[in-house]
Amino acid sequence: MSGLSAIYRREMLSLWVTPLAWVLLVVFLLLEGAIFYSIVVHFTTLPDIAADVGPVQLFFGQESVLLPLTLVLICPALTMRTFAEERRSGTIETLLTAPVTPFAVVLGKYLATLSTYVLIWAPTLLYVVILRKTGSIDWQVVGTSYLGVFGVGATYLAIGNLMSAMTKSQLIALLLTVLFVFGMFVMGIGEYVFEDGLFHDLCAHVSMAAQMEDFSKGIVDLRRVVFDGSVIALSLFFTTRVVDSWRWD
Amino acid sequence: MIEVEHLTKDYGTVVAVRDVSFRVGTGEIVGVLGPNGAGKSTTLRILAGFLGATSGEVRIAGHDVQREPLLARSRLGYMPEAAPLYPELRVNEYLRFRAELKRVRRSERARAIDTAVERAGLGSVRDTLVGHLSKGFRQRVALADALVAAPPLLILDEPTAGLDPNQIREVRRLIRELGKQHTILLSTHILSEVEATCDRAVVIHRGTLVAEGKLSELQARKSAELSLELRDPEDRALALVRDLPSVNVLDHSLDGELRRVRLSTSGDASATAETVVAALSAAGVGVRSVQVAKASLEQVFAELTQAPGHDDTKKESAV
Repeated sequence: MSGLSAIYRREMLSLWVTPLAWVLLVVFLLLEGAIFYSIVVHFTTLPDIAADVGPVQLFFGQESVLLPLTLVLICPALTMRTFAEERRSGTIETLLTAPVTPFAVVLGKYLATLSTYVLIWAPTLLYVVILRKTGSIDWQVVGTSYLGVFGVGATYLAIGNLMSAMTKSQLIALLLTVLFVFGMFVMGIGEYVFEDGLFHDLCAHVSMAAQMEDFSKGIVDLRRVVFDGSVIALSLFFTTRVVDSWRWD
Repeated sequence: MIEVEHLTKDYGTVVAVRDVSFRVGTGEIVGVLGPNGAGKSTTLRILAGFLGATSGEVRIAGHDVQREPLLARSRLGYMPEAAPLYPELRVNEYLRFRAELKRVRRSERARAIDTAVERAGLGSVRDTLVGHLSKGFRQRVALADALVAAPPLLILDEPTAGLDPNQIREVRRLIRELGKQHTILLSTHILSEVEATCDRAVVIHRGTLVAEGKLSELQARKSAELSLELRDPEDRALALVRDLPSVNVLDHSLDGELRRVRLSTSGDASATAETVVAALSAAGVGVRSVQVAKASLEQVFAELTQAPGHDDTKKESAV
């Protein structure tokens, strides 16, 4: 696709030569480090804890509601500038008058934020290395857990890019995205509020906490994958339409 | 190189560009002239493919900007007003990005960037962050960006806006230089800019094209003044002159036998002078002297763009 790789590389460069990605990396690792530390302390002080829940599972799973919450903050901050800043500064004019399609612009920017997200997660693999020194690791759980956070992040980032395309203000883009993904998170709590029925199922379906709970047990539920994929595809589609619509402002 | 036909753009109820048509031939340097807010930027943005037209057609090198947007855009280098750039990139990085985006082949990219840097005079700041550059250098980076893929057409929106007099002279010289290899369409609200750089001008006022042509043609076409000294004992001259088409009597005075008349004409001044003199002589009025004062370009510009909108004048003349 014409221009995709150029846009991807420029976006990565801009993310990593400015403080934004580094600040997010530090904040994220501090938060995750604190969670991991408390889990490790928990396990060392209570060695006879139920044998079917390991620290990896606890870290990614339902016990730590903190994890989806950190993502609710990190992902919107990663995507807030993608389109909003280009429109505020006017660089969007040079970008869209180059021989590129709007979809290449959207996909390039999305893939750059997604790669950055993966890079921000990468250092947490050290936790697994640390745990391996003290006991055995269920590699399937590790694999599916990371697949889970990838899915959640990919979904949040797609929504964040769409919100960034809707406004010229980074702050508003950030707030809209937080509102949206936090809304999804809160809806997830509905799973425990509503009795069986439509609302219960609906809430369970969109719940990112429930998704992480499944994945952290080593379960890859295809419905979760389809849900994430659908939200991503829809968001990218709408973002492309929004970018296209600027010609008709 | 550029064909614009019946181009109209409205933003809701506001019509920014109204039924504008013009052509730019290969190798020409054409200025789009008009006061601020006349619709110049909107027109250029439509040509560059950034905005869609409400109606009308635009073709760049034969490619319709609406139906073949990528082909049309690959034929032009566009420099937007105020030269927006990414402040966090170095000049080199920025131009590399733009060259790749504009599909300059990998093997030719380094040379294309070198050439653009050299032509825009950026050699000393290649490794500087764009955000640290002065306004003049940022303008040059934007120009280098427009040049980097060596497009046949350059569209420059107010290329000298915000520069100091030396930089303006420098940019104008550069545009002249570039005009040898590229077709250039540039917009400006400064008349002397068109005089200094362009072969031809398209004058836009309130979204309407009010004049088009070589500057000398524009000058000739617009109103000029004729001052006549006549020997007119029977006092027939005034009535005669008033009957002539495209002539207005501005004032007149009588000094003994000598009548002085000042006329304005809205056609070719010299041709009108000939008609006036012929008519007066035929009627037996003695013409002692005739002076033709052509309007300056400033007057032409003022006349074209300070009059009420083109539509209104049309209506008036229809009534």
